[in-house]
Amino acid sequence: MLRYIGKRILQMIPTVFGVILITFVLFNIVGGSPAQQVLGPHAQADTLESFDEQRGFNKPLFIGTRTTTRAYADSDFERSAGDWQQQNGAVWTNGTLILAAGGEYALPVKFTLRTDCDYELEIEGRAAGFPMFGENQLKLSKDWKKISLRFRSLPALSDAKGGVEGEKIVPGGAPVEIRSIKLRRMMSNPFDSQFMFYLNRLAHLDFGVSYSTNQRVSKMLLDGIGPSLMLTVPVFFVGLITSVMLSLFCAFWRDTWVDRFFVIFSVALMSVNYLVWIVGGQYLLGFKLGWFPVWGFEDPRYLILPVLIGVFSGLGAELRFYRTIMLDEAHRDYVRTAQAKGVSRLGVLFKHVLKNAMIPIITNTVIAIPFLYTGSLLLESFFGIPGLGYLGINAINSSDVDVVRAIVLVGSIIFVIANLLTDICYALVDPRVKLK
Amino acid sequence: MSEKGNSLWSDAWRRLKKNRLAMICLGVVVFYTALALYGEVVYRYYQAKDQTAFYQKTDLNQAYQPPSSKHWMGTDALGRDVTQRLIQGTRIAYKVGIITALIAIPIGVFFGCLAGYFGGRVDSFVVWLYSTVASMPGLLFILAIAMVVGRGLLGIYLGIGLTTWVGLCRLIRGEVIKHKEQAYVMAAKALGLSWPRILFRHILPNVFHVIIVTFTLRFPAAVSTEVFMSFLGIGVVSEPSWGVMINSARMRLWQGVWWEMTFVTLAIFGLVLAFNLLGDALRDALDPRLRTEGN
Repeated sequence: MLRYIGKRILQMIPTVFGVILITFVLFNIVGGSPAQQVLGPHAQADTLESFDEQRGFNKPLFIGTRTTTRAYADSDFERSAGDWQQQNGAVWTNGTLILAAGGEYALPVKFTLRTDCDYELEIEGRAAGFPMFGENQLKLSKDWKKISLRFRSLPALSDAKGGVEGEKIVPGGAPVEIRSIKLRRMMSNPFDSQFMFYLNRLAHLDFGVSYSTNQRVSKMLLDGIGPSLMLTVPVFFVGLITSVMLSLFCAFWRDTWVDRFFVIFSVALMSVNYLVWIVGGQYLLGFKLGWFPVWGFEDPRYLILPVLIGVFSGLGAELRFYRTIMLDEAHRDYVRTAQAKGVSRLGVLFKHVLKNAMIPIITNTVIAIPFLYTGSLLLESFFGIPGLGYLGINAINSSDVDVVRAIVLVGSIIFVIANLLTDICYALVDPRVKLK
Repeated sequence: MSEKGNSLWSDAWRRLKKNRLAMICLGVVVFYTALALYGEVVYRYYQAKDQTAFYQKTDLNQAYQPPSSKHWMGTDALGRDVTQRLIQGTRIAYKVGIITALIAIPIGVFFGCLAGYFGGRVDSFVVWLYSTVASMPGLLFILAIAMVVGRGLLGIYLGIGLTTWVGLCRLIRGEVIKHKEQAYVMAAKALGLSWPRILFRHILPNVFHVIIVTFTLRFPAAVSTEVFMSFLGIGVVSEPSWGVMINSARMRLWQGVWWEMTFVTLAIFGLVLAFNLLGDALRDALDPRLRTEGN
């Protein structure tokens, strides 16, 4: 048994890793840094950079020795002079930037570069003379070529004009023609990546800080679980009991109009959109009849209507599922045997069929448990229940990536764990499972 | 596949024709499809002419007209004809249903086929992939994808398409594993046919009914998800999607403007119900296991 459990836990690790990888790919690679979105279009580059620094967005994705910096956007002089427009003496023509001989041209960085790490400057250009960049020689020749140069910024040398002494291009005797310039920050440790940063934070159970509320995400999650469970647990149990009872009903009266009615009824229930249940319920029961409060979360009375709606909206699918299970069991040999020895129909149903049907019912039940945690997105946001679903919808509406990511991640990890528990329970109940 | 004789398809069609409820549902589906096509033509026409379509034109003097012979389903808060907007909603629902299927079904079929046919490491990888995706919390994951990709139809397509292939993948994998051991596959292997040919020309047609049933049953689910997303303001924004319509009708319902809400609700209900019942009937008609038991 222990070996089986150990094996199952080992099997769980790739899935957990996969879940972490998917959230990383989705939010870091596809989504990218949300700094601009959060801080607005007019935010200064150094504010954006420190936002990224805090959340690890200014590192290479998985592994790498160089990373982009917001101090200098890659300039390709194909279309315009870009940040070089304000530089005296720099002329842009036809896809090249020409720095006239004899001048000094400071790299137009948006904020002073860090002094604790190296930078790499990549220039594609040509020059007839011996151009310099600070103290270093730019090894450009008469033919177009790409060169790169490593340097470290020195704070002491910064002058009044904002340009730094060490970061100036000095063409020397002949003009320099440039097609593109890139600036990269060098990483001292190539494994110091966004992915490692993410894993490291997860290892510390740190989900970051919400942009919109400035609270710790882990605290927000903990605060939200209570109200979510208060809504989903009753929905879950009432729904389970009702649908199992109704499915037994169907099995008892199978192939009669009662059964047929419930089949059509369940498909019809399934086809009613969730929104309709909510809007209709709020309007009819809450507003017209005034039986329940429409919105809020103050005392248990506020939970009755959402629970009712939750049960109803899920009933169709569950009833159909359990009915199939019951009918499957009702055709088994042991049922015939029981009937033959004279057990009453009700007795067969409750003592024999229900017991045997418990296994698929339990599976279905355990698998549903993780969804209790995320709560019901729609019910919570409509009835103003401050649970995780409400939190999730709000976070999505305000593009609060850290919160959304944390809810998605924790939800899926709970799912994986619940799966594991189901399998272990199974193995305990049914020894054949271990052999597979 | 030959049409004469007792091929799976002609046989299934014969069985389906006997099921009166399924035929009614098929009629309803055809009706909705025609509406969607009409909506698409209208939409394209106004797009080509670069004009505001008539279902988008606001006329505040006509606001909140109850159903009449001029406006069969009344008008909304901005005086737009509900009937026409409903038809546009059908167009969007169909687009979502079809495009998400075009994303999800090839992914599911491809991975399912490979995993079932090759087994071993390929299978382990595919199982890992789908169990990982299946662990993500449903609607929230879809919304998160849509948030990252950006609001609008593209977010909806990708969100729903990239998350709903798991069920089909599992089914196809199981079917292919079953078929792999059968005589006709052995014969094809003995003839020295390449694996893509065996897999996609010989096995795939035999498991195709699974794809059809899945398509029919996931269509209403995709439409419902789109309605949620648009309702929450994460999906369609400026076009008359059903979700957008429910959202705008919701407030007015309290003041007695019942028609927009009622008709949108009925339209969704009809579409989803017809597809669900048709999918069930198709499954009964196409599933060979039930066929041997039934007759």
